[in-house]
Amino acid sequence: MLKPTMLIAAKDLRLTLTRGAGLVQALLLGLVLVFVFSLSRQAGDLVPAQTAATIFWLASLFSLVLMSNALFSLEEESNARPGLILSPAPLASVWAGKALASGLLLVASQLAFMPATIIFLGNEPSGPAESWLVGIAGILVVDWGLVAVGALLGALAQGQAGRESLLSLVLFPLVVPVLLAGIRLTTGFLEGASPLGAGSWLGLALGFGALYSAVGLLLFPVLYRAGD
Amino acid sequence: MNIRFLLALAAGVAVFGSQLLVWLYAPVEMTLGPIQKIFYLHLPCAWWALMSFFVVFVASIAYLLKRNFFWDRLAGAAAELGVLLALLALATGSIWGRVSWNVWWTWDPRLTTTLVMWFIYAGYLLIRSLSMQPGRRAVVSAVLGIVAFLDVPLVFYSARLWRSIHPAVFSASGGGLEPEMKLTLFVCLGAFGLLWAALLLGRLWQMNAAERIEARIIWKEH
Repeated sequence: MLKPTMLIAAKDLRLTLTRGAGLVQALLLGLVLVFVFSLSRQAGDLVPAQTAATIFWLASLFSLVLMSNALFSLEEESNARPGLILSPAPLASVWAGKALASGLLLVASQLAFMPATIIFLGNEPSGPAESWLVGIAGILVVDWGLVAVGALLGALAQGQAGRESLLSLVLFPLVVPVLLAGIRLTTGFLEGASPLGAGSWLGLALGFGALYSAVGLLLFPVLYRAGD
Repeated sequence: MNIRFLLALAAGVAVFGSQLLVWLYAPVEMTLGPIQKIFYLHLPCAWWALMSFFVVFVASIAYLLKRNFFWDRLAGAAAELGVLLALLALATGSIWGRVSWNVWWTWDPRLTTTLVMWFIYAGYLLIRSLSMQPGRRAVVSAVLGIVAFLDVPLVFYSARLWRSIHPAVFSASGGGLEPEMKLTLFVCLGAFGLLWAALLLGRLWQMNAAERIEARIIWKEH
């Protein structure tokens, strides 16, 4: 399954990056969000770290919605979904490939969102190495959970008008647990301290990622095959 | 007389009886006064909303295994009931919260879980209302019905974690219920259970009828 997963992820990344629109659109939306939220503070004021972390994750989540839509519309545009269904590759590898591609794109956009959060919202992580480690590990683990759900629900919204709004409406409440973990872990990182109960939050995010990866592997093929 | 009619009749009688107990038998709570009686509506709504979402989960699995549209319709009917009851539980809980804790809303695991659950299942109903080929809509709904139910324990756990870090606006008060209150509550739970079953059955019958009418229209058109 690993080979088809890599092939699908590579194909999706190549198509997205060469066209540019998918990643650029997600990046711009996230950056605009961070910037707009920065207008809510008085000049010279600091935005509380928890608020900054929430804005960072909101930007990430909106980007994920756009990316998931872009990745699933690749097959839709060229009507290539039946081809993928008929190919010898297991359908679970389509989910894994999409999740991998959207994960990489999400991390790439977060490389822009984090500096934007620090610059526009006035928080500066200056804690010990431990808080950096927990912060970065937290972001990566939470990303795993987000892309696992995003890749599953992306198939759910395919073929529908107003996919973005439909996907956000279903995705946002579902990812509340992992989002809370992300906000808590990133708050500690932005405050320059290791957050209270970091282990529990990391555990929750890991559990979420594992559960939705299992659900994705199991249910994605059913969902993907049920085309109009 | 068919089972739907009998169930509806039994539910009507039970709800009427339970209201007699609420207003004439159960004592008025000392500190909160008559507003506490909202509890006899709030708790059954919350319990039967949870039961509805459990039915959605089971029916969704059954649909994916059997591919019989009955299970899809059962999941849809249960989700509609669940969303309505959860909304009532949230609204009554909020009114109670305003009186007893002086806030309309507070960060509490139960409140948060219920609200998130409500959002998820409202999204579920939205997906069901989209114009899709029936087979695809049923599969999409079934997957979402399973995913949604798996999320609830995680939301509950995360809300508890968050609460342990942030001081809560109120603290959960201990103390049991008076025997009269307990009896009234159990009768209300039972009465709402009957009402829930009657509504579920009625909605299922309605959905089946709609399906049959649609099939006849299509048959006539061709």
